[in-house]
Amino acid sequence: MDNPGGINSVEQVVVFNLHDQVYGINIESVLEIIRTESVTRVPGTPEFIEGVINLRGRVIPIMDLCKRFNMPPAEISDATRVIIVEAGGVTVGMIVDQVSEVLRIPSSSVEPPPAMIAGSSVEALKGIALVEDKLVILLDLGKVLYDEEKTRLQGFGG
Amino acid sequence: MFTDVEMMVFMEELEEKIQSINDNVLLLEKDGESPEVIQEIFRAAHTIKGSSGVMGYDKMTSLTHEIENLFDRLRQGTMAVNTYLVDVLFEALDKLKLLKDEISGEAREVQVEDVLQKIRSIQQTGRGVQQPAGGAAAAPAAWTTEGGPDQLDDLILDLVREAEVRGFQAYWVSVEVDSGCQMKNVRAFLVFEALQQLGEIIKSDPPAEAIQDGRYDQGFSVVLLSREDAGQIKTLVMSIAEINSVEVLQLDPGEPNGEAGAGEDETAGQGQAVAVNVAKAVAVTEKTTTIKTVRVDVQKLDTLMNLVSELVIDRTRLDRFVDLFESKYGSEELADNIVEISNHLGQVTTDLQDEIMKARMLPVATVFNRLPRMVRDIAQKLGKEIDFVVEGKETELDRNVIEVIGDPLIHLIRNAIDHGIETTEERERLGKPRQGRVQLKASYVESHIVITLTDDGQGIDVSKLRKKALERGLVKADTLSRLSDREVLDLIFQPGFSTAEEVSDVSGRGVGMDIVKNQIEQINGTVEFSTELGRGTIFQIKLPLTLVIIRALMVGMGDQVYAFPLSNVMETLAIKPSEIKIIRSSEVIVVRGGVLPLLRLSAFFQVESANSGGKLYVVVLGSGKKRIGVVVDRLLGEQEIVIKSLGKYLGQMTGLSGATILGDGRVALIIDAKGIVADTSKEEIAYAN
Repeated sequence: MDNPGGINSVEQVVVFNLHDQVYGINIESVLEIIRTESVTRVPGTPEFIEGVINLRGRVIPIMDLCKRFNMPPAEISDATRVIIVEAGGVTVGMIVDQVSEVLRIPSSSVEPPPAMIAGSSVEALKGIALVEDKLVILLDLGKVLYDEEKTRLQGFGG
Repeated sequence: MFTDVEMMVFMEELEEKIQSINDNVLLLEKDGESPEVIQEIFRAAHTIKGSSGVMGYDKMTSLTHEIENLFDRLRQGTMAVNTYLVDVLFEALDKLKLLKDEISGEAREVQVEDVLQKIRSIQQTGRGVQQPAGGAAAAPAAWTTEGGPDQLDDLILDLVREAEVRGFQAYWVSVEVDSGCQMKNVRAFLVFEALQQLGEIIKSDPPAEAIQDGRYDQGFSVVLLSREDAGQIKTLVMSIAEINSVEVLQLDPGEPNGEAGAGEDETAGQGQAVAVNVAKAVAVTEKTTTIKTVRVDVQKLDTLMNLVSELVIDRTRLDRFVDLFESKYGSEELADNIVEISNHLGQVTTDLQDEIMKARMLPVATVFNRLPRMVRDIAQKLGKEIDFVVEGKETELDRNVIEVIGDPLIHLIRNAIDHGIETTEERERLGKPRQGRVQLKASYVESHIVITLTDDGQGIDVSKLRKKALERGLVKADTLSRLSDREVLDLIFQPGFSTAEEVSDVSGRGVGMDIVKNQIEQINGTVEFSTELGRGTIFQIKLPLTLVIIRALMVGMGDQVYAFPLSNVMETLAIKPSEIKIIRSSEVIVVRGGVLPLLRLSAFFQVESANSGGKLYVVVLGSGKKRIGVVVDRLLGEQEIVIKSLGKYLGQMTGLSGATILGDGRVALIIDAKGIVADTSKEEIAYAN
């Protein structure tokens, strides 16, 4: 499945917007996409953790992906969605401005991430894909969830 | 190789049989020889021998073989039970457990030679080593070759007649194996082994090899020559697990028809033909009461529980809708219908929730069964005689509670034997029975389970405690003189307090009563005790039936709802802001002459408060002796809540112990009352210094 070195491997990617930027994550880690619902704030968590929601009886933490990438917080609108993802044994919801489509992206059209992208944490990027004249920033979900904030969360928990 | 399922069945059976041997050896030691107990151990050893043999665990086979031999002697009365024998048996049992661990990969290469040697030497030194007269019991050794029955096939009738002359009876034994049986070959092997205890198998259908390889349908049949009566044969075979039914018919070689007659019309002249009608010959079959259980992953039960909570939430929402509907179309039949449906749904969801809760329960026997052996070992090590009585094993508790309760119980029992019960000489001098009595009892009290541990030992000496407390520097002399006896007694729950005169390897290793208390409080339980000098001590542990559902006080803070576990809520107060005093920059109030430190939840959690002056509500939390008052916006009332984890991603959050889902589907956070009380008290101490 995951064959980054393969010549013709194709990745299915859920594409979503954060403000005016287009991002994508591998569809395999996406459990479902829901509308925003009432979020309960949890004191003592990092700022980008919006709180927890009730997902059919499970309590799931929700993060604001914009805040996670040091951008202004997402504006809640009708298009706002929460992408529920699973990575590294944890289930987390990510608030995004809009989910647009699912794209098949051949590995040949993926470029390594540039040294700097405005506002984003570079280490969470897997690459940039050019598909149908759109630039999609591919995210490394493991790093989105666990890179720097893992240490930050641990700091709070201790 | 064997499949995982077969392996699991084997390990489960092994566990069960080892426990059975353990229990019965204890009985043997306590009550002396009784044929039933000896028979029971013999059977258990025999079963393990059979199945481990098939699975190819040779060390286990030879160990159980020796145990079996030993009990065969006991059974025949050619040896007697003595303490040394029991000791060796326990040693063998420990080896058996190790062997089990070796199989599951938890233990390294286990050596059994020394214990085998011990068992053998007991047998050799046992009195009257001789084979019992009569061929029946001598048969086993000769019958391990599988080809035997087939060679005898043609001679069957002659053999039966011949045997009859020697005083044997020929039986046609038909065995039906449980349809869910996972290891037919093992069952068959066990049946063969069992029957060979009683006599000779001279014929089987299908052939022995096929049967022992598990190549048979529902059952098989054999012709057995034995001196025992049909009932005994039946009882023995029925004692093997997963045997559905056994039919035993006496064969008459003169008139080769089976005597039972009924349903045997087409029986031809030979025993072979008799044996064919396994399916039809159900006239005298006896159904065993097989335990109808399945093993379920706790995770699955949790998932079920989640789904039920969802259902409960939806029902609550429906309720609201029904109210609306009713107020709008109150008089119409449609409204009546929907009210009725909603009520019924409510009833069913409540029942469903209860049932799933019950499914998570386990009998305390899972913990209690480990204890008698431990008591025996400790008593022996200390040279004390203990009569250990266990009651209420069947009482059921949530499995999470059960997992935690073991250690504190072991600790308390050790203490009771080590510090509580006097030495035998001392007891005799005091005119008490030589045997110290330790009683462990579990029972339901309202929505709790209460475990009491009673000993008739020397009790706890308050004056000794006072001395100790001073020596250890736990209290200052002037404070001590003001403490009541009760308060002094409760000092045993302080860290670093142990009254043992000297540290023994049984108790007093630094893990004290404070740990016991902590562990029990961890699971929302309480521990109390009363003691009478010279008469003994009673410990009482009170535990919730479950950890998943608790009663909570719901409070409002801004637009959010928080839950305080009711077990830590002492009382609630409404105060005027002017009642708050400042001591060393901390807010306090005076309640009934005592100073209560205050904690504003809004400040603690850095959330906004919707309070606009006016009255303040204070939830008084208590953990142990410490009290703090938590200021909240509103009190919303009591409610039963289902505790959910905040999940791995957030991990342990300061001040929170989890979350729950409210009737409207929102998430409410559960306050870690104990943590908050402990934290705040620490600060208090810091201020005081």
